[in-house]
Amino acid sequence: MYRWLLCWRYLRTRWIALASVVSVTLGVATLIIVNSVMDGFSAEMQQKMHGILSDIVIEGHSAAGIPNPQWYESEIRKTLGDDVVGVTTVVHVPAMGSFQFRGQTITRQINIIGIDTKTYADVSDFRRFLSHPENQRLLSFDLREDGYGAGREDFPASGWVHRKRWGAIQKALEQERLLREEYEAKLKKENAIPMPALGGAGADSTDPAALANAAPSIGAQAMAGPSIGASAGVAGAGQLFDAEKEQHAGIVLGIGICSVRGTKPDGSIGDFFYVRPGDDIQVGLLSASSPPRILSEKFTIVDVYESKMSEYDSTFAFVPIEKLQQMRGMIDPSTGMKSVSSIQIKLRDNADLDAARDLLQAQFPSDMMIQVSTWKDLQGPLLAAVKMETTILNILLFLIIAVAGFGILATFFMIVVEKTRDIGVLKSLGAPSSGVATIFLGYGLLLGAVGAGVGTVGGLLFVYYINEIADLLEVMTGGEVFDPRIYYFERIPTIVDPTSIVMVMCGAILIAVMASVLPAFRAARLHPVEALRYE
Amino acid sequence: MSKTSPRVQPRRSDSIGTDFSKDASLFQPHANGEFSTMKMDSPSAVSISRTHGKTQGGISPDSVIMSAKNLTKTYRTGKVQVPVLKGVDFVAERNRLTAIIGQSGSGKSTLLHLLGTLDQPDGGEVYFDGRRIDNLPRRQRDQFRNQTLGMIFQFYHLLPELTTLENVMVPSLIGHGMFKYFSVRRKLRDRAAELLDWVGLGHRLKHRPNELSGGEMQRTAIARALMAEPRILLADEPTGNLDPETGHGILELLKKLNQQQQMTIIMVTHDEAIARSADCCIRLQSGKVQQVHQQAA
Repeated sequence: MYRWLLCWRYLRTRWIALASVVSVTLGVATLIIVNSVMDGFSAEMQQKMHGILSDIVIEGHSAAGIPNPQWYESEIRKTLGDDVVGVTTVVHVPAMGSFQFRGQTITRQINIIGIDTKTYADVSDFRRFLSHPENQRLLSFDLREDGYGAGREDFPASGWVHRKRWGAIQKALEQERLLREEYEAKLKKENAIPMPALGGAGADSTDPAALANAAPSIGAQAMAGPSIGASAGVAGAGQLFDAEKEQHAGIVLGIGICSVRGTKPDGSIGDFFYVRPGDDIQVGLLSASSPPRILSEKFTIVDVYESKMSEYDSTFAFVPIEKLQQMRGMIDPSTGMKSVSSIQIKLRDNADLDAARDLLQAQFPSDMMIQVSTWKDLQGPLLAAVKMETTILNILLFLIIAVAGFGILATFFMIVVEKTRDIGVLKSLGAPSSGVATIFLGYGLLLGAVGAGVGTVGGLLFVYYINEIADLLEVMTGGEVFDPRIYYFERIPTIVDPTSIVMVMCGAILIAVMASVLPAFRAARLHPVEALRYE
Repeated sequence: MSKTSPRVQPRRSDSIGTDFSKDASLFQPHANGEFSTMKMDSPSAVSISRTHGKTQGGISPDSVIMSAKNLTKTYRTGKVQVPVLKGVDFVAERNRLTAIIGQSGSGKSTLLHLLGTLDQPDGGEVYFDGRRIDNLPRRQRDQFRNQTLGMIFQFYHLLPELTTLENVMVPSLIGHGMFKYFSVRRKLRDRAAELLDWVGLGHRLKHRPNELSGGEMQRTAIARALMAEPRILLADEPTGNLDPETGHGILELLKKLNQQQQMTIIMVTHDEAIARSADCCIRLQSGKVQQVHQQAA
């Protein structure tokens, strides 16, 4: 009984010992904060990755793709049974997108993904990242009138509202250009003096519209499809395609493709849009034929999506699968059979993805030029990197606590020296050596518990208010603590894992107890007479 | 003792001054553990007259409670060996106040430590109540110190983190396990409070040692020594660190304990006056017994 009474009293009266567990406290708190934030990050990341990727992807490596996907689908359903929630087919191909902005051409390297609007939603949460509320319910590749960017103040006017205005301007410019050409031709005819500089200079410096019109003609050379650019030099071609009333095939762009994220003059983070729903984008891609040819076609942006995974947002563009199959020549002209590049499968929640993958792998061996992977396999390196970071941070921080253990060891030795006489008294009053040792072990236990407890509470509070703390730090230092441009999260995500907290606490307490073993042993071995004589 | 602590409650001081039988339960030995067989036979059997002066050779074996034979002890400081006790014989009689006197370095404290099993002799034997104790296993020696022995030190040696009351309770806390303690804690607390009251510190139960005077600390130490109902008290210069007046008060308290409660006391001192007032005085010099003086009461 005296042991616990004394530990308790030592704990309450020796403040210096509490100072020695401050490092334990800090270590525990840091571990909890780091783990929570890392867990939050990786969970958020996984959620986002998974949001666009389906559970299992069967990818064909041949440029021509996987023929007869219906057979595969029935095989998949046979193999996996009730676990399958949805199956969809996808065509994807690397591509180059280019669009006009203020007379300049901007090109972006993108991944064109042809999706089946009816079934794609079964396998992916893709829709909820779209900016138009209607599209979030049911994706349509037809441009909508208005209402894009719901809930976003900085979203520019888009949709038909924008396209009509833009189309009218294009038409007017086109007309003016035609008038000028007519006039120039007349001039040439009349005085036959060559004036090469006039038209060129006009186009370069004074007439941005001419520039805007000139660039799309690159595309016009490569393709036969109707476009504004295609009308160059052909009088009255504007009537073929009326941008005010018509649209090309729809395309959904990642927000990173059509905008840049930056700090506005007032300091807030915002997107600056080069193009927006309603604008056109020129897409160049490879055909499925052999040898591959370069195809180029105009698409009308019908929506943008923001999954907040910068990798996806800056490369993925979605188009209707039929359009892509048709463009690339993936439809067998004789049979009408359509090929796809991959088949995506969604399984029911909690299904064992790895087991399903292994089953499918057995079903479709690699010599079919087919690869079966789970979404985690596809993002493996990134997930593994995050996991390794977490592990290494955990080890490092636990070393901090271990270092704190040596602090406790030193302090405890001091306390044992300071308490030598008391130990002598206890022994002379009949306390056994084991009892004396227990006092110091118990003291270490209590100190560890206090340190770990305070650290846990502090760490949890920090995690709970982490965004407020980040804001406060930003105000105090003026610097950016958490930059949403980098992470695509508005707030720092955190997940508190009770198991890891318990483990961290136990580890810290264990270290404190282990650090007190040596001093306790020394205290137990003190000779009572010498201890009493000690002054 | 009411002189030294005037704030003692009147009822209590009355009882102290007049009738100890009331408080007899405080000092009644009870059966406890290993040494229960060594208990005094009965109060009447104990009343061996201490009024007859005796030479050491004439002590009847029945009246001997603690004795030592040919004790030797050598301390080693580095390579130098310092013989402290060179064959000391010692006998303490039941219910008497035995003083050990000698100059510093004469080995008197070492002798007391050996008697109290705090240290083990290099040679010789120590007996308590006819039973050899110096070679008992460590656990049993711990238990012996806890339950049969009361210790008083020159520097009081109270635990600074505990209150007066808790300090007094320490021997019982050590003697009882956690569960046993919780079942008897009220009784222990009451007994500790009564003891403190008896030594005149009834009003100081909640004070820390650093709030007490030297005399008060020594009284607390005496109360602590009595807590486990010991059969013998060992005091190592109990007045050595006190001014004469306070020391006198402490001595009076010990004498009262000896006379009224029949408590056997072995006291180390270097004060001739104190030694003279003891029933028996053993003089040590250079690690040897120089003289044994039996006092006629």
